[in-house]
Amino acid sequence: MPGSKPNRLHDELDALLDGRPVELTDELAPLAEAANELRVELAGLRLDPEAADRHLERVLHGSAPVVRLPVRGQASGWEVRRRVVAVALAAALVLAPATIASAAALPGQAMYPFKLAIEQIRIASVQWSPPREAGERTRVAQERLEELNRLVELKMFNQIATAVSALDKAVLDAQAAVSEAKQEGQPVPALAATLDNLKTVGGQTLANVVATVSDPSLLPEGTRNAIRAAVAQTQVVVTPDRDIEYAGPPPNPPTPTTDAKPGGGSDPTSPPAAPTTAPQPPETTQAPAPTTTEPPPTSPPTTDPPPTTEETTPPASGGGGDAGSGADERAPTEQAPPTTLPAP
Amino acid sequence: MLGFGGEREAVSKVGLTAADLAAARRREPAAVTRIYTAYAPALFRFFMAAVSDRHQAEDLTGTTFVSAIEGLPRFRGPVEALGGWLFQIARHDLYDFRRKQGRSRTEPLEENLNEATAATGGDDPEDLAIERLEGSRVLAAMRQLSDDQREVLLLRMAGGLTAPEVAAILGKTTGAVKALQHRGLASLARVLGLRSPQQPPERPYPSTDPDRLTSQEEEER
Repeated sequence: MPGSKPNRLHDELDALLDGRPVELTDELAPLAEAANELRVELAGLRLDPEAADRHLERVLHGSAPVVRLPVRGQASGWEVRRRVVAVALAAALVLAPATIASAAALPGQAMYPFKLAIEQIRIASVQWSPPREAGERTRVAQERLEELNRLVELKMFNQIATAVSALDKAVLDAQAAVSEAKQEGQPVPALAATLDNLKTVGGQTLANVVATVSDPSLLPEGTRNAIRAAVAQTQVVVTPDRDIEYAGPPPNPPTPTTDAKPGGGSDPTSPPAAPTTAPQPPETTQAPAPTTTEPPPTSPPTTDPPPTTEETTPPASGGGGDAGSGADERAPTEQAPPTTLPAP
Repeated sequence: MLGFGGEREAVSKVGLTAADLAAARRREPAAVTRIYTAYAPALFRFFMAAVSDRHQAEDLTGTTFVSAIEGLPRFRGPVEALGGWLFQIARHDLYDFRRKQGRSRTEPLEENLNEATAATGGDDPEDLAIERLEGSRVLAAMRQLSDDQREVLLLRMAGGLTAPEVAAILGKTTGAVKALQHRGLASLARVLGLRSPQQPPERPYPSTDPDRLTSQEEEER
């Protein structure tokens, strides 16, 4: 068969190369001879023993041996400390540059979410200690106030409404933390005083904000309304004349009032024009606000009933170093209905 | 009757067993040495015939063996398939080497010669070149073959692999490998001037039958 002859020859040659007995035909003879010459040639190529030693050395000692993974036993105290330090170092290396970069970020800026995330991490890291958590939350509240001032200064009006709400929430959280610390038997009078001061200064800042945004040439009507609504909905940080403007309960229609007076709080560092009250009973009788956020003197705030308060029933146990803070003051705060600022 | 296949037998004489394979996976020195002794000479011949440079062939042999031992835990075949697996790595390493060599061809010749001189302990480059040419008649003839033919013959003759093993490495059928080795040896015989006593001198092997032509002759036609 014409087609089978090459295949037979292929098979015979393959058998020959495999060392199987094959009848050496004339056709196979030169192929066998060529294969033999090649085989002799290849056999003469010998690996240098020194090279072989180098290769074996490289295999046996040049790289890490493959061994079974050891079963992880009980970690020693030193190993635990080492791991903690390693994790802390890694976290610091990752977070430190971002923390520095985001420290001055303001709402609306790219790094601001990162700043908030770092704050949450810091709060979470101290939640095992109520006093430390109170301190951290107070610091956050101060930061929110600082941001609000910066936004007003930079005329970033579209972010002010958000900043006002954030300030109020931060102060509320700090107040709760201070209160919790007190309940845990670890009162933090200095922080409580700082927080009181913060609320006072914050109220003046809000008044300043309202006064600033009253200028129709500065910002659109919608933005102004949003800011005023945010100011009106604050619960703990309130404008000095808030009680006059929004004393009514929510079901009642908003009472037409006048806007906040610029002179009453345009300068956060200046004392308010007249002592006013916040909706919370303990907050209603504050002395004229200090000009900075430094803690006020250790003497408790006065408890004289404010002349403008309509329905203040201060609890009897609200005095002491923590007056104006804690759970005592939160209850009425939460009861205070959110008010809305009437349209100008 | 003639027989070839000493490489295969030499490997089998080493007596590699499944236990050797398992021990080599654990990097037990004795087992690793046994596997090296069994296959390193064949690997070196394969590389030497392919690159025609002793130092490069030695480096390639070492690299392939290191890769193989490091990859041995991933090898799941029987010990009989170890040779095919090793030469698969060798073939891959050879391609890598050639690719890198192709990229660095702009190096000046003098630099290469000096490097060769330093590597061989001060031999004169001219002597090295002469030495390389001498004794490489068959290997020079191998370069006349097509890449496929040369690769099949080297895996068969230098690596000591069977046609089915070569077919598995190259991704071809066993029949195709047998045909390639036939054509390759026919071409080699023709280049070396070998012919059957019955054939006329002017018509060296192979015949004019188109089925028997070498691939080179087919290309010429």
